[in-house]
Amino acid sequence: MPSAIDASPRSQTGQSGVVAQRRRQAWNYVAVLALVAVLAAGPVVVTNSYYRYAGVLMVMYMVMATSWNLVGGFTGYVSLGHAAFFGFGAYCTGIIANESRTSVILALLATVGICAVVGAVIGIVALRVRGSSFVIVTIALVYMGSLLAQGLRSLTGGSGGLDVAGLYSFSGRAARHAAYIVTFAVLLGVVMWLWNFIDGTKFGMGLKAVREDEDRAQSLGVNTTAFKVVAFALSATFVGSAGGIYATWTGFIDPIFVFSVQISAQLVLMSLLGGTRSLWGPVLGAAIIVPSSEFFLVNLPEYHLVTMGVMLGAVVLLMPNGIIATLRRLWVRRRAPAASIREVAGAVGA
Amino acid sequence: MSLAVRGLTKQFGGVVALDDATVDFVPGAINGLIGPNGSGKTTLFNIVTGLIPTDAGEVTFAGRPITGMAPYRIARAGIGRTFQVVRAFDRMTVLENVLVAERRSGLRELIRSAIRGSEVDRAMDWLRQVGLDHLADADAADISYGQKKLLELAAILMTDPSLVMLDEPAGGVNPVMIERISDLIRVANANGRTIVIVEHNMEMVMSLCDHVVVFDRGRPIASGAPDTIQSDERVLEAYLGV
Repeated sequence: MPSAIDASPRSQTGQSGVVAQRRRQAWNYVAVLALVAVLAAGPVVVTNSYYRYAGVLMVMYMVMATSWNLVGGFTGYVSLGHAAFFGFGAYCTGIIANESRTSVILALLATVGICAVVGAVIGIVALRVRGSSFVIVTIALVYMGSLLAQGLRSLTGGSGGLDVAGLYSFSGRAARHAAYIVTFAVLLGVVMWLWNFIDGTKFGMGLKAVREDEDRAQSLGVNTTAFKVVAFALSATFVGSAGGIYATWTGFIDPIFVFSVQISAQLVLMSLLGGTRSLWGPVLGAAIIVPSSEFFLVNLPEYHLVTMGVMLGAVVLLMPNGIIATLRRLWVRRRAPAASIREVAGAVGA
Repeated sequence: MSLAVRGLTKQFGGVVALDDATVDFVPGAINGLIGPNGSGKTTLFNIVTGLIPTDAGEVTFAGRPITGMAPYRIARAGIGRTFQVVRAFDRMTVLENVLVAERRSGLRELIRSAIRGSEVDRAMDWLRQVGLDHLADADAADISYGQKKLLELAAILMTDPSLVMLDEPAGGVNPVMIERISDLIRVANANGRTIVIVEHNMEMVMSLCDHVVVFDRGRPIASGAPDTIQSDERVLEAYLGV
């Protein structure tokens, strides 16, 4: 096209934004490594068995919330069904380890593959609907999982639960917890690496376009169905893997607990609290909610769920974009009070 | 490239939006599609671009049937469209809004950086054409309504479409902006792109279009050069009820 129409000088704004984005992404990789190192080194300082137990829970939820955010943050599809994959992964590992008498580590690896396939298949079905319909469909997944686990008695042990062998042979509780903190921290590093990687790819940009306006993304040539299904399958794989590791950690699977919408809701709450459009949002959310949840569980057991509800309400009303986005906005406002983009645009008169 | 629809029919509940509509758009021209509200213009757009299925009839593009194809395939076949109510990816930057439209194929393409040099250059070129390059790093939510119209145009041009379908490009923007958008449409057409616009601004339609199709109650009632259309009695009746 001839460029006679617009005479504005060649601007470098786009380029500088690109550079800033690349730099931020590169620093994120470094920061993820640092976080994994700090979490894995945690047990050196924290020797108390109960605190280590809470630490395993916290890092596990960091993994799961970040995994949830592979779908929720990029595509905007809010899944309340991720507990289904958590439970499925747990049973998968437990059943394979028990029935085939292979090592637990092989059972876990098999779980990863199976969860990827099952996640893709369920994604193909569930992602046909949008918005609140999608939320309802995903809730149904959790109940289906729960019913299946209690019904298939010969495989799952029914409502009595299932015993699972451990991944490590440490005798002491505290040592075992320490090993699982390291295990989940490594998994956290992988899933955060993946999130950060996708964030900068064309794949990630297509997913974000789905979040903003799915029809328009399609009309610009984005194969939205394929994009969504891949994101959903990846998300399910990591949550399922976390479920498998969880099963070997506790040594026992309770179908009512693992297939509970409450676990799904926790992942949503953590992600919203921290901020779904940031790599660090879900991690921050888990770092706040798991310890405070444990605190209320110990000190105010009868109000434990109420406090969760109050927190969710407060986040939605006061910080709809999450802590990180809110802080970032305050920071930007303090640094550059001169002119908003709208004012600049108005002055240019485009 | 040539777009034709044959016997398109679409009902929403009891409302007939398209009633056995058959239209041949003129390849290489700026085609106007006019008619009263509810005469089926936007429904025609939505069926052609695959957003909604048709009840009956066929759409052919460049001689190939595209009826019922997935919207992204139709887009890749070379049809770009804008929407009646302006739509931008609000929580992405202006530059990203254009980069999304970059043709993508194969796993390798998808998992490499989205912000690689040559693409950014191409996207910036399009932003410069429409006069938004100075806002490349702004969130799309923060730019004005008229600027979003230009952004939509830049995004579909990034896909290098052979057919550009614009749904009310002049709706809700000031006269200066209308001139600018008209110029951009002319340039796109001069570059070999066939244009179809739905528009209520008659001044713009008459000055811009080579060929005009008039819709009423879900089917074309007249077509021809702007001059002949303006004096067509059926058209006056449909518009003015005389």
